[in-house]
Amino acid sequence: MAKEKKNKILVVDDEPDNTSIFSMSLEDGGFEVDAYTDPLLALSMFKSGHKKYDYLVLDIKMPDMNGFELYEEIRKIDNKVKACFLTAFGEGYTEEFGRRFPTSTNVSFMRKPIRVDDLVKKVNKMVNT
Amino acid sequence: MSAEPDRTGTTITQVLYGVENAVKLFSRVVYGANTAIDICDDDIISHAATSHKIIEKRVQEIGAKFRYITEIKNDNIKYCKELMKVGQVRHLDGIRTNFVVTDTEYSSSAIMQQVHAHPETVYSNVRSIVEQQRYLFENLWNKAIPAERKINEIEGGIELEKTYVIQDPQSIQKLFVDMVKSVQHEVLLILPTVNAFLREYRMGIIQLLMQAMRERSVNVRILTPTNDVIDSILKNIVISYQEGERRKDFNLRSINMSPEETAVSTVTIVVVDKKESLVFEKTDDTKENFIEAVGMATYSNSKPTVVSYISIFESLWTQVDLYEQLKTHDKMQKEFINIASHEMKTPTQAIIGYADLIHKHPEKREDMMQSISRNAVRLQRLTNDILDVTRIDSHTLNLHKEQFNIGNLLAYIVQDYVGYIEKENQNVKLFYNFKQDINDPLPIDADEDRITQVVSNLLNNAIKFTSKKKEGVISVSVERKKEEVIVSIKDTGEGINPEILPRLFTKFATRSFSGTGLGLYISKSIVEAHGGKMWAENNPDGEGATFTFTLPLSSSRKTIMFSRKDGR
Repeated sequence: MAKEKKNKILVVDDEPDNTSIFSMSLEDGGFEVDAYTDPLLALSMFKSGHKKYDYLVLDIKMPDMNGFELYEEIRKIDNKVKACFLTAFGEGYTEEFGRRFPTSTNVSFMRKPIRVDDLVKKVNKMVNT
Repeated sequence: MSAEPDRTGTTITQVLYGVENAVKLFSRVVYGANTAIDICDDDIISHAATSHKIIEKRVQEIGAKFRYITEIKNDNIKYCKELMKVGQVRHLDGIRTNFVVTDTEYSSSAIMQQVHAHPETVYSNVRSIVEQQRYLFENLWNKAIPAERKINEIEGGIELEKTYVIQDPQSIQKLFVDMVKSVQHEVLLILPTVNAFLREYRMGIIQLLMQAMRERSVNVRILTPTNDVIDSILKNIVISYQEGERRKDFNLRSINMSPEETAVSTVTIVVVDKKESLVFEKTDDTKENFIEAVGMATYSNSKPTVVSYISIFESLWTQVDLYEQLKTHDKMQKEFINIASHEMKTPTQAIIGYADLIHKHPEKREDMMQSISRNAVRLQRLTNDILDVTRIDSHTLNLHKEQFNIGNLLAYIVQDYVGYIEKENQNVKLFYNFKQDINDPLPIDADEDRITQVVSNLLNNAIKFTSKKKEGVISVSVERKKEEVIVSIKDTGEGINPEILPRLFTKFATRSFSGTGLGLYISKSIVEAHGGKMWAENNPDGEGATFTFTLPLSSSRKTIMFSRKDGR
């Protein structure tokens, strides 16, 4: 049986419960998932280049480095990588999002709390376009 | 030259010469009056001897209406008072005319001073001339002020209250500058436009005000619209003023509302020492020069008028302040809602996520149920705290007060926590320092549940920050100081981060994994609602921190039993 090539997803969220849930959901959805609660650690792993990711799922509000900043840093290494931002905040972040990413082809947005099915659907859609 | 006017019925205008003729003519005219005698006199003293008796007699004879205008001064008050018994008297500053006009005739002396050897007197009974003079008299009469007021001013030494209009721009400017220079206590200033501020700045008004503040400790309040240019001017002024000086009140409030919202948009209002007001219009706000821009001005030192301008200023001042407070409050509300909703979504996400996954992962059911429970409790605590915060902020926190002994309550709570600590294997020791003194009970009137909430919050924090150390000690103590009880909770933990210390009791100051970030804000609010105070400081020995709060002792000391009612 040929091994299916699975899409690789990087999940970063400072709440351990969230990384658990998102990892499990996406794995159930057929993806390969690496999850980190520390954005700085995630960045250094990305830099060391062991893996290439098809998609990023990033929480925005994190201490040390927020999701937007992390994405900017990652883009310096791979500027084609796509990402989905997760936020629990309201309009404030949609504004900043609109400012930072006026052309939103590679990035999209989801508001927490997120249903497992919705997450899988969204990632499927973004990965396959 | 005839000695007397021709009274044969023809209308004439003539000039007569000599003092004698002047006097005769005067009395003839007065005696010729039927209904009205109006006199303007610039030298009442000299004329008193000759004319007053004449006037008095004629007025009494025919009941004529008698009006008299002169410049009332200290030296002529008594003559004025005499005339005031005969008819109406008014005062006009600097009057320089002499005439009498009746219903039919007019007579005037060009100069009626003793020094002039040959005064000329004009007479006329020509209708149009007489009417002209009556018109002139009316105008002077309307400008003049009642004698009583002037006499009061002179005799009472009080300044006469006047309100008048100034048309000449130079005079307005001079008056403005003089008023500002003369201020002793306070200046209120409303400027209607940005250009007005700049004009007055160029004129030197702002500098004069700063000088007044520096030299005479004058209180200055200014209401003005601002823009970037003005903001930078002000910054420089305030900086140079504050350097090394004792700072008296320079209060400037920017009107950030649109002109329609503000009460005043077209005039400048200046009020000095609550005694004088100057209000001037702009005819052309685009002009850079004050003289060119200013229109009419109204000056007043009449109390009711000045007070009305003060009240305009004060209400606008307060309005601007309230507007700013409202904006700040709205901003803080918005921030709170943002953070609160974020905090709530976190455990909600966990509950929803695990609930979604639990079906597909029966092998992990135990762990997931625990996580769901944990997060549900977290969510419950958070919603309770948020509700408490909204109650506190809207002043609807209801306290159910009873009298109880705080020492007993603390003993009970500590006992509970000792049990909890043992169960959780926390390597923390909890001590309670309190010697029950039968003669000195500590009764307080308080909401027992809420005080328990406060103490629990402080103990939870203490445990949280001490559990990371090998052997932590938490000691709870209570003592009486005058009419208060002081409760302290001291720990040997990590201490308070100095950066957070100033904001420690604010909402969401610290967000830890198990805390809500609202505990201290709520605790402090509860204590303050009871009339107490709460504060925190790091321990002087460098190990840990101490949280302290006070509560007022019950003023009515009932006999307090040392066990609680329910036997605990």
